Amino acid sequence: MEVRADLVEAHRASFRHIASPGACLTATERIRLAEIARDAYFEAEPSPPWVRHYPEATENLAYRLARHAGTFSIDLYDRAMAEGMSALVWVEVVGVVIATVPVVAFARAVGSDMAPFPGPVHGRPTGRVATDLVDATLNWVPVAAPADRTAAVVQALSALPGEWENLWRLASAQYMSDRQMDDPAWTRGTLSRPQMELVAGRISKLRECFY
Amino acid sequence: MLSWSGQKSGVEVDLTSIATGEGTGGVPFGVELLAFAEAIADWDDEELADTRERLRSAAGEAFMIDAAAVAANFEMMTRVADGTGARFDDKTRQARAGLARTLGVDHWESAR
Repeated sequence: MEVRADLVEAHRASFRHIASPGACLTATERIRLAEIARDAYFEAEPSPPWVRHYPEATENLAYRLARHAGTFSIDLYDRAMAEGMSALVWVEVVGVVIATVPVVAFARAVGSDMAPFPGPVHGRPTGRVATDLVDATLNWVPVAAPADRTAAVVQALSALPGEWENLWRLASAQYMSDRQMDDPAWTRGTLSRPQMELVAGRISKLRECFY
Repeated sequence: MLSWSGQKSGVEVDLTSIATGEGTGGVPFGVELLAFAEAIADWDDEELADTRERLRSAAGEAFMIDAAAVAANFEMMTRVADGTGARFDDKTRQARAGLARTLGVDHWESAR
């Protein structure tokens, strides 16, 4: 089976991204979260969403987002903040989970072997955060200023440029770039745009994603 | 997630098929695509292998791979939306109220 080179590279880059220091977390911490997300995604009999399996709040967040994303609410976010998690750590956990899930989901979907995570790149967290963070109306999490000028999913990870860049690199390879989305005639020569939207819509419905 | 990408690109598909998983969605290979998407979102590996092969036989390997990539993308984007509390402004939310009812999604926890 021959997978497009740009898609292979985007997935490899995502795993390298996981295994590198993030804004707030070390590479070792990020790989641990990615392993939890991967295992949660594949778990035959997952725990109910409210069960906290792991000692760290970040680990429980990674598990729940990987397997029970449709159960997220503002109450869950507020409780995590009240219990001491920082909003930027929350965003980074989301960034690690979404760097993991599509790669393993794709491998499972096409029936290929699952690539292991690379070894951790040692070093301290980078502290790379958007220069001007503001609260948003369209997301719970803080975003890069100015807020609410773009769609909520576009600004969602903008507080942490590294996570934001990885998200859109993946989206461009798996789906289409923002520029290509503006052209309703654009395709890769395989699925038509309505065929792509049929798959996108059905997955979103099955995952109970209102947005 | 359909509404954001679909509205932005102006592409329309049969919403009933998205809501129910039945029919063709009004597109070629719609039955095979819906079955493949359903199996990806479920955890039955035998069903997934079966639907993958049916799509590959009907539409070709490159087509199946790109369908898997789109599905993977929305495994990602749904978690971005849910994990960051993504929501619509009031005007957009009102405008898509009918769509939400058609899709049967207006009662979900994520309908924030």
